[in-house]
Amino acid sequence: MRTLSTLAVLALLAGPAFTIDLPTKPTTCARHGTTIDFVGSPKEAAARAKKDEKLVLVLHISGHFEDASLT
Amino acid sequence: MGALTDAKVGAFVNENFVTSYQKVGTFKIVGNNKQGGNVASYFCAPDGRVLHCVAGPVDAATFLNEAKWVVDTVLAANKTSKGEGAKFKELFRKAHAEKLRNDTGLKVEPITWDIETTTDQDALQYKDPSGRPLAPKLPAPPIDGPDVRLTDKEFNARQQRANGAPGARLEACVGQGGEVRKVVVNNQAIVHQLLAAHSMQKIETMYGTVFENILGEKVSTKPVDVVRPFSWVDQDGKRLQKE
Repeated sequence: MRTLSTLAVLALLAGPAFTIDLPTKPTTCARHGTTIDFVGSPKEAAARAKKDEKLVLVLHISGHFEDASLT
Repeated sequence: MGALTDAKVGAFVNENFVTSYQKVGTFKIVGNNKQGGNVASYFCAPDGRVLHCVAGPVDAATFLNEAKWVVDTVLAANKTSKGEGAKFKELFRKAHAEKLRNDTGLKVEPITWDIETTTDQDALQYKDPSGRPLAPKLPAPPIDGPDVRLTDKEFNARQQRANGAPGARLEACVGQGGEVRKVVVNNQAIVHQLLAAHSMQKIETMYGTVFENILGEKVSTKPVDVVRPFSWVDQDGKRLQKE
């Protein structure tokens, strides 16, 4: 299993881009028809990633495309 | 395409990343009509700085390849930089330049210091339809032409591969002898060109250039949090009726 245990150092690089404070009530993950677990916001993703020593993936989705092949 | 519905992509992403989404308003003018719809995937450090990006929809194998490259490069850069932030950034920008060379045979000089981005008052801003500034226009380092360490055969093979990827187009570049030639780039090649100078910047700084300069769509809003990322399914993946 890959581990990103040394990633915590990245949080120390410079001023934070997101304000990292753990949400008082974390939302549950949803998959929205994909195989990926999504949390509710980039802020929450950042907080969880820091806690779990993972990286963050943020999708920017635009428009009202009704084509699942786009994702 | 369907990268995000692929089981291997899901397993790798869920193991190594915490994922979220935002909506960005964009449009293209086709005829007299506004059309829009695209996706950009930003791989970030836990503090939100962008390590890599996949611009536009890609197939599962490509997405997985890019995601694995991010994880492998982070682990290697962490080991070498020994916790020094500036060194980590330098290594990551050099890694983007090297990946551009591997993928397309093209050379850019990575910029390992931070270029001062424009302020909201500058003309070099992407703006919403009412003229309000949204994001800076980030300059990418110029392509210096084919990497001279490659043989013609190696270079042509990489260019041929690049020509088969999404967003492939010809771009003019000035070679070392001053000659102008056209080379093949694609969406991911331009991402690497951009991130050879701007990786470890915030998403908010980068998204305008990704959508406008790489995907060819005008941004009309800042990224906003939404409840449903994909308008046609609910959070359990059940298809919704058209509204």
